Amino acid sequence: MILDLNINGIPLTLTASPGDSLLRILRAQGYFGVKHGCESGECGACTVVLDGKPVNACVYLAAQAQGHRIQTIEEVGQHPEQGWKVTTGLHPLQSAFVESGAIQCGYCTPAMILAARELLDREPNPSEAAVRETLSGVLCRCTGYLKPVQAVLRAAAALRGEAVEPIDAPIPAPPEWLPGEGDKPSPRGEEIHPSTFIPHPLLATTLVMPRIQVTPETETWQRVGKPEIKVDAVKLAQGKPAFAADFEKRGLLVAKVLHSPIAHAHIKHINASRARELPGVAAVLTWQDIPRVIYSTAGQSDPIPGPLDSFSLDKKVRYVGDRVAFVAAETEEIAQQALELIEVEYEPVPAIFDPAQAMQPGAQRLHDEPEYVNFAESDPTRNLAAHIRIDIGDVERGFAEADTIFEDEYEVSKVQQAHIEPHVVITYWDEDDRLVIRTSTQVPFHVRRQLAPVLGLPIKRIRVIKPRIGGGFGGKQEVMIEDVAAHLTIATGRPVIFEYSREEEFTAARSRHPMRIIMKTGVKKDGTITANAMYALSDTGAYGCHALTVTGNTGHKSMALYVGDGPYRKAPNIRFYADVVYTNHPPAGAYRGYGVPQGYWPVERHMEKIARQLGLDPLEFRLKNALRAGELHPFSTAWSEGREPRPETIETCGLEECVRQGSVATGWDEKFGNPGWHQVPGKPHLRRGIGMAMVMQGTAIPYLDMGGASVKMNDDGSFNLLVGATDLGTGSDTVLAQMAAEVLGVAVNDILVYSSDTDFTPFDKGAYASSTTYISGTAVVRACEQAAERIRLRAARLLNEQDSPVKVVPHEIRLIDRKAVAPDGRAVSMAEIGHHALHHAEQEQIMGVGSYVSPVAPPPFAAQFSEVTVDIETGQVVVDKLVMGVDSGVIVNPITASGQIEGGMTQALGYAVCEEMRYDEQGRSRERNLRDYHIFQAHEMPELITIFVETFEPSHPFGVKAVAEIPMDGVAPAVGNAVLDACGIQIDDIPITPEKVWRALRDKS
Amino acid sequence: MIVEYHRPKTVEEALSLLSRNGMLSIPMGGGSGIDRSSLEPIAVVDLQDLGLNTLRVRGNFLDLGATVTLQALLDFPRLQPALLQAIRHEANYNLRHVATVAGTLLVADGRSPFTTAMLALDARLALRTGNDQGKEEKIGLGDLLPIREERLPGRLITLITIPHTIRLAYTYVARTPADRPIVCAVVAAWPSGRTRVALGGFGSAPLLAMDGPEAKGAEIAAQNTYSQAGDEWATAEYRQEVAGVLVRRCMEEISSQ
Repeated sequence: MILDLNINGIPLTLTASPGDSLLRILRAQGYFGVKHGCESGECGACTVVLDGKPVNACVYLAAQAQGHRIQTIEEVGQHPEQGWKVTTGLHPLQSAFVESGAIQCGYCTPAMILAARELLDREPNPSEAAVRETLSGVLCRCTGYLKPVQAVLRAAAALRGEAVEPIDAPIPAPPEWLPGEGDKPSPRGEEIHPSTFIPHPLLATTLVMPRIQVTPETETWQRVGKPEIKVDAVKLAQGKPAFAADFEKRGLLVAKVLHSPIAHAHIKHINASRARELPGVAAVLTWQDIPRVIYSTAGQSDPIPGPLDSFSLDKKVRYVGDRVAFVAAETEEIAQQALELIEVEYEPVPAIFDPAQAMQPGAQRLHDEPEYVNFAESDPTRNLAAHIRIDIGDVERGFAEADTIFEDEYEVSKVQQAHIEPHVVITYWDEDDRLVIRTSTQVPFHVRRQLAPVLGLPIKRIRVIKPRIGGGFGGKQEVMIEDVAAHLTIATGRPVIFEYSREEEFTAARSRHPMRIIMKTGVKKDGTITANAMYALSDTGAYGCHALTVTGNTGHKSMALYVGDGPYRKAPNIRFYADVVYTNHPPAGAYRGYGVPQGYWPVERHMEKIARQLGLDPLEFRLKNALRAGELHPFSTAWSEGREPRPETIETCGLEECVRQGSVATGWDEKFGNPGWHQVPGKPHLRRGIGMAMVMQGTAIPYLDMGGASVKMNDDGSFNLLVGATDLGTGSDTVLAQMAAEVLGVAVNDILVYSSDTDFTPFDKGAYASSTTYISGTAVVRACEQAAERIRLRAARLLNEQDSPVKVVPHEIRLIDRKAVAPDGRAVSMAEIGHHALHHAEQEQIMGVGSYVSPVAPPPFAAQFSEVTVDIETGQVVVDKLVMGVDSGVIVNPITASGQIEGGMTQALGYAVCEEMRYDEQGRSRERNLRDYHIFQAHEMPELITIFVETFEPSHPFGVKAVAEIPMDGVAPAVGNAVLDACGIQIDDIPITPEKVWRALRDKS
Repeated sequence: MIVEYHRPKTVEEALSLLSRNGMLSIPMGGGSGIDRSSLEPIAVVDLQDLGLNTLRVRGNFLDLGATVTLQALLDFPRLQPALLQAIRHEANYNLRHVATVAGTLLVADGRSPFTTAMLALDARLALRTGNDQGKEEKIGLGDLLPIREERLPGRLITLITIPHTIRLAYTYVARTPADRPIVCAVVAAWPSGRTRVALGGFGSAPLLAMDGPEAKGAEIAAQNTYSQAGDEWATAEYRQEVAGVLVRRCMEEISSQ
C-alpha cells in the first residue's frame, strides 16, 4: 500500500505492507534513533512522538500513522560544532543526559529524551514522581534510572532559566562521615560540615555525583578521578546510527532460526525442500548442509576452560528453543513462512530437568556425540559439564573444633540478562572476499578465533567489528548467533542480518546458572569461624558454556570472604565442592557477577542466621571473620578458572570503612534492633526491616586476561587511541580516555577512542570479569607512556632550539594542559610537537603500543544495605532503600562508576524479588516477554545511594580495582536479611515472592 | 499476519468490513494488543477516524467512546483515584497513549487491573453489528468477558458506560509495585448499598466475586471465588487467603471515603 507520512516535518510517500510496523518503516528510512527492543511495546526503546504523545513504534502500524505528525530523535538537537555551519546545538535535555551520566549503553536514551521532552513541553516544573511516571514507558537495564531522572530535572531547571548545581558538585557527606585512617577529606569538594547534610528534595534529585571518600594519591591528577563526559554520549543522545543493526547494506537478507518445540529428541527426518521453494527464500540450512564442527559458544580465552559440546546445527535437540534449521529470505515475513514449511520428524528421548536426577547413574544422557571434547573433570556419561572439589586447610578438623555447626540449604533462580538491545549481527563478504561480522558482542576477538574453524575460514579471513553495544551484562560474552548469519552469508554470498526477537532472548539465549547450595559452617561461641563449606549443584542446561568458570567463581569469590579469626585467619579451613550438570533447560552462561551473586545469597543469608543465633552483632561478626589487607586470598593457591593457581596477597581492603559509611547512610544504629522503627504508624499490617551483606569480587583473571592498546599522535596534538576493549555501555572507553589523557597531559576530548575492530585495534580479551579499567587501562597507560617518551624527546629538542642557556632534559618535562612544560616554565604545545613530528624535521609517527596481563586480581569489597517494608498479611515486600559502600580502588570517573553501581543494584534487586525463569514439565518457558519477566521500571525504584570508599591498589598505575560486577552480589541477601529483620522469617530461595513470605509467616505462626 | 489495513470513516463502513466473509477482520483501537506473531492472514479495521474517542459525563455516568485511550481516561479530572491507580497499573506511560479502553477489555486476561476495575464498576458496553440498523445492543462487561471470542466477531464496541460518582477501592499484591498483580481486588459501592467485588490476578479474565445489595459477606465471597485459583504464578491457597485480605482492605477504604 502507498503511505503518506510526515516524519520530522518532512512529507514522505512510500510503499509499505499493511502489517509493517512504524518501527520497521522508520528504520528502513534511516531513522536509526528508533530502536528495536521487543515486539510488544514493553521496553519502549522504539519510542517516537506522535502528535505530541510518546508511543511505541513497534506496536504501531505505519499505516496508522498516516495523517499524524511523527517525531523522532533525529529532529531533536544536533552536534553544536559542525565546522562553518551554525547550529542550534543539542537540546537541553540531550545536554543534561550527556552531562549527568544518564547515558550508559545509550540504546534507550533517544526514547527517554523523547518521552521527557513531551513532559517538559506540557509541564515545565515537573515533580520527580512525574518524571519517573513519564519514563516508566522506557525500560533501562543499565542506569537504575537515577541519573536519567536527575538529567530531566536538571534540563527542566535549565529550561526554566534556573541555575543548576555544577556536575561535579559533591553530594554532602553524612555528618558522621569521618576520614578513615590515612585518608583525608575530599579535595574535590568543600570541607564537609555536618550542617550541610540536610535533606533537600531538589538538591538530592538534581545532583549526580556519588558520595566519595578519596585517597590522597589522586590529588594531583587532572583527568583521572574527574566526572568527565562519556566519550560516546553526544552521539548516543542524538540517536546516531551507532549500533550493530544501524547499518545499511544492499541486498540484505533476513535470517530466522527454526527452534525446537521439544526438550530432548533426535531429528529423525528433516525436509526443507518446501521452504527452499518459497519465493523470496535464499537459503535453508539444516545439519545436513554444513560441516559438523564441535566448539564451545563461551567467549573465553584459549584454551576454552570448558567442554566442547556444541555444533552450529546438530541432528539432536536438547532444549525447547534449540536450533533446528536456519533460513535466509528477502523479508522477515518470508523467512517466518519458510520456517513453517520445514518438515521435521522428531524422535523424542526422555528429557531431564532436575540436575540432581541428571547426574544419577543411568540417567538419560544429553551429550553422546562422539566429537565431545572434555575439559578437566567434565564427564558427559554422568551429564557433568564440570566438577569441582576444592579443600583449603583441614575442613573436618575445623568443624571438629567448632562449638556449633550451622547447616542449611539455599536456592537461586535462573535469570536473564535482559539487555534492551537484543543479540544482533550482520555478516557480509567484503571486496577482498573476507567475511565481515558486525556484531553486538562483548568478545570480538574470541568471536573471530572461535568461529574460524566452525566456518572453515582461517582467522585472517574474518574481520569482526564491534560497534556500540546496547547492553550485554555477560549475555554477549557468547558466540551465540554470529555463526547463523555467517553460514547463511557463505551459503548465499549475500549480506545477512540476524536479530533475536525478545521471545528468542528468553527461550534461546543464555541466563544466570540456577543453583541449589548447601552451606555448612563451624563457629566458636565468640563468633570465630573455624570452617566453612559450600556445595553447589548448578544447572548449566543443555550446553556447558561457562559451566566450570561461573560455578568456580561462586566459591572462589563468596567463600573467600570469611576466613575466620585468630589462628584460623592464618590458616583458614574452606571447602567448595560443586557439580555442574547438564539438563534439558536452555543453557545458562555468563551474567554480570559470573557466579558470585549465586554464592553470596547463601553465604550472607547464612552469616546473618549465625550472628543472630549466637546473639552477635551481624556487622561485628562479619568483620571479625572477614578477609583483610595483607592476607592471602585463600583460593589463590587452590583454583584459577581451570588453570594453574598462584598465590595472591590482598593489598587493599576498604571493607570496614564501607561498612561504617554505609551504616551511617542507612541509619543502621538507629534502626537495627529498634522495635519502634520496625512499626509503621497507622499500618498495623506493615513491618519495616533493615539488612545488610558484605561482598567481594575479583578484578580480571590473573595470568590470562590480556588487553592491548595503541595510541598515535596527530598533527593538532590530538591522539587516536585504539583499544580492543569492548565498551558495552559501561563507559570503559571514557575511563580509558581519561587515563590516556592523564598520561599525555591533554583533555579527554583530545583522545579519540576507537573500539573495537579485529582488523585495526589491538587484541583484547573483551569485556568480562570486571577487567577493562584494570587490564586494558594498564595497557593504555603503557602505550601512552611510550608515546609520552617520544613527545618529551621532541619537546626537549624544540625547547633546546630556543635561545636559552638552560638545556632541557626530556625526563624532566611534564605533560600538562596540552603542553610539554620544562622545569623552568618554558613550554611547547602538543599541537606544535605533533605538527613538527609529522612534517618538519626527523619526521616520525609518535605512537605507542602497550599490552598487559596481570599477575593478580585485586578484589573490590563492598557493604550492601537494604531497607524493606513487609506486608505481613499478604507477604508483599517493598524495597525502600539500597545503600552501597564500595571499595573499588581509585574511582576514575565518579559519575560513570556510580552509574555502574546504581544499575547493578537495580538488576540485583530484580534478582532479589521478581526475576526468574521457570519451565513447565515439558521444558517450555513461562517467561517469554518483558511483561511476565518483570524488570524494574523508573516509577517503582527504591532510593539508591552509592558511597565510594577509595583505596589505592598498588598493582595498577592509577590504583583502580573493578566496579562493574560487585553491585550484583549483595542486594539479594541484604533484602533477605531485611525481610528477616522485619518479620522474623527465613526465606532461603530467591526471588523473595509474596507467596514465599506469606507461607513462611504462616509457618512461623 | 496483517495483510489488509482499513481505516473506515463511519461505523457502518467499519461494520461492513468486520462482517465480511472469507477474511478474518478485527477492529483495531490502538493496536497494542494485536498478536502479530500469528501467520494467519488478518485484516485490521482501524477505528481512529470513527469519532469514538470522546469522553462525556452524563449525570452520574461516564460515557467512554471505545477508542478513548487509557491515558485520556486517566487524565479525566473527576476520575475515581482507585480507577486512576488501576489504569496506571495496567500499562506504562507510552502504552497508555495507544491502548484504548475497549481494546484493553477485549484482550485482557485475568491479571488486568483495569478490566477488574471496570468489572467492579459494572461497565456496560454498547455493541453494534452490521445488520442492526443503527440499534445498539447493550451488554454488561461481566456477561461479555467469558464469551468474548464467540460474541464479538462481526461486532463493534462503540461505547462503554461506567458510574463515576460511586465509591471505589483498588488494591493488589505483586512482586514489585509495578509488576502485574498476583491478586488484585476492586470494590465498588453504590449509594444504595449495592456492592460489587471483582478479583483479578488469575485466569483468562477477572472474576466477579459478589454483586449484592450490601457489603456483607464480601470477604468470604472473595475467598470462595478464588478457592481454585491456582496457576504457575501462585497457588489457589495463597490467592484465596489474600483475596479476602485485599477485599477487607478495600472495604475499609470504601468506609473511609
